[in-house]
Amino acid sequence: MVESIVSTGLAIGCIYALIGITYNVMFSASRVFSFTAGVLGMLGGVLGALFIARLGIPLVVGFLLVLAAGAIFGVITEIVAVRPVLKSLDQHLYVLSTLALALMVQQFTAIEWGTEARPFPRLFDIARGGFDQQFWLPMLACIVVIAGLELLYRRTLVGHAFLAIAEDTFAARALGLPERSLRMASFALAGVIGALAGFAGGEMLLAFFGNAPLLTFYGFVPVALGGMGNNRGAVVAGLLLGLFQQTANFLVGGIFASVAVFTVFIIVLLARPEGLAGASAQRRV
Amino acid sequence: MSMTRRQALLSAGAAVAATSIAKPAIAAKDPIQVGYLPALTGPSSSTGIGINRGIQLAVKEINDAGGIDGRQIELITRDTQSDPTKAVNGAAELTHGQKVSVVFGPVNSGESLAVVPLLARTNTPQVHPCWVDALADPQKYPMCFRNGPTNQQIGAAANRYVVDVLKRKKVAVISDTTGYGTASVNAYVPMLKAKGADVVYQGNVDAANPDLKPELLRMQSAGAEAIMPWSVNAGFLSRIINTRGQMGWDVPIVGQTTLGSGQTKDLLEKLEYWAKVYPNNFRNVCYAPGGKLPERTVDFLGRVKSAKIDMGDTLLWWIALGYDSPRLIAQAMTAVGTEPKQVVGYLNKLKGFPGVYGNISFTPEQHNGYPDDEIVMVEANSLKDGAFNLAPGYSA
Repeated sequence: MVESIVSTGLAIGCIYALIGITYNVMFSASRVFSFTAGVLGMLGGVLGALFIARLGIPLVVGFLLVLAAGAIFGVITEIVAVRPVLKSLDQHLYVLSTLALALMVQQFTAIEWGTEARPFPRLFDIARGGFDQQFWLPMLACIVVIAGLELLYRRTLVGHAFLAIAEDTFAARALGLPERSLRMASFALAGVIGALAGFAGGEMLLAFFGNAPLLTFYGFVPVALGGMGNNRGAVVAGLLLGLFQQTANFLVGGIFASVAVFTVFIIVLLARPEGLAGASAQRRV
Repeated sequence: MSMTRRQALLSAGAAVAATSIAKPAIAAKDPIQVGYLPALTGPSSSTGIGINRGIQLAVKEINDAGGIDGRQIELITRDTQSDPTKAVNGAAELTHGQKVSVVFGPVNSGESLAVVPLLARTNTPQVHPCWVDALADPQKYPMCFRNGPTNQQIGAAANRYVVDVLKRKKVAVISDTTGYGTASVNAYVPMLKAKGADVVYQGNVDAANPDLKPELLRMQSAGAEAIMPWSVNAGFLSRIINTRGQMGWDVPIVGQTTLGSGQTKDLLEKLEYWAKVYPNNFRNVCYAPGGKLPERTVDFLGRVKSAKIDMGDTLLWWIALGYDSPRLIAQAMTAVGTEPKQVVGYLNKLKGFPGVYGNISFTPEQHNGYPDDEIVMVEANSLKDGAFNLAPGYSA
């Protein structure tokens, strides 16, 4: 039982964490919570199955195509659902615009791909075992993303520019940083991370259009618990969420497992509204 | 030659009279319009596409044989696109715009739930095959007839197989959290208990839950001797089958028809995990022990093959159901004409209509026409030409 809780819990936790990071990367660049993050995860699984299993494209090429599709969808999200509502952020119109785009893509996927879950290809020809590739692939993807983002944000000029935009958009623009281009690049990056989450977790979640709302909701929990815009917090909260959810599956089971997860989520937010790792927002007076 | 006003009026009157006398003769040769509401596109269209192949074959055969009293059947088709709203629009157009004599469909319960009350208000005879229990009620919908089984019959057949044929008394019943899943569990568990079974596990689980091992371990530790899943979600069902296989647990899985679908098969980690999985099906379209289909079905299969109807991506019972439905309507109209009340009166007394899908009977008090004993369980891994082998324990 413990082995199953740890392997499945950590794997699913890593997928939630990656979706949480997807939310955060988009949020940092635009102050917008784009509810297309779960759709990106769903597309990673569906497109992976489409390219590799159905069209027979080689694994590496198929993988790169999935990431490219994620980046393109990220950019489309920025242009279609985010940019038009940036001027009225205080009205939270982005909730409607990003949700509408997410629902459109989800329904389109249901019509074109089908409403049934379909198999995701086994990426490596290794015999199934206890610690299977369906468990370690999401973990590997999570480690690669965390390390990559750390390198990007700390060691590269573009990364510093991303941070500058995230910190203060107006000041960054005053310094001559190309705010719009950087924002689009951030959404493309978020698209890559979201699609990677779905691709790495494809064997576990299957290629299923219904994964979009699941990932949208469970991917948001690490963001809220870990602190908005805080990637490290999202990773820790995502892993804890996965472990707790799997433990609840074993201990209480059925729909009560979901109830347990959201009960704890609400209690934590009541106790620490800024999230476990978030800092209280300072208001300028 | 001049014509007086009286002569002119008489001539006009004669012309009108001649026209009106000729009209019934022409009307008798007009096609009989039958409304048809299939889901040919959209997420629930696989069933509709299969049924449509049978419908088209039957209508062609009836028309080629001279139609009904010399009148051809004209199917007025409105694709519901698997959407209840579009089904309602289609039904309204068929009854108000086209004024069809009778409607067949919709073929999915979600659409029928919206359409059946509407057609009842327009006094249009309706035949549909949908399974939701409430969709045939002679008190509320006196012109609506069901030529398929009800959910109660489907559950009862599975329960009979587990308790009476397999002799398993400790049963685990699981479903997803959809309306269909939870309603099925709520309905079937009391039926199982009434048959003397001990329901040692009962649960509703989110269909997207990637790991069902905790649930199966709970079933195993409760001593379950059979698993009965109720869901139409192939992902959910395949996870149950895969987890049972990974655990090396030799317990039969008995339940919904989707257990035997191609989508479920595609999601299995190993094909051998599909052994001892028994979904619902229908006796007339199943291979009996010895590998034979009933004579009526063999004859039908021959006609399906002659008509070059594709069987590779569908199920025999879907085509058979589609084939039977226009023939049922045609039999009624041949006997009593196309007047709605006459058609309903005939159907109310229908006894043993010899369908390929099943023998259909109605009474004024019972509009559920499918017989209990023709609902059976089959071996999921035995699909051949759209049909399955009867599950072990059934006689020929």
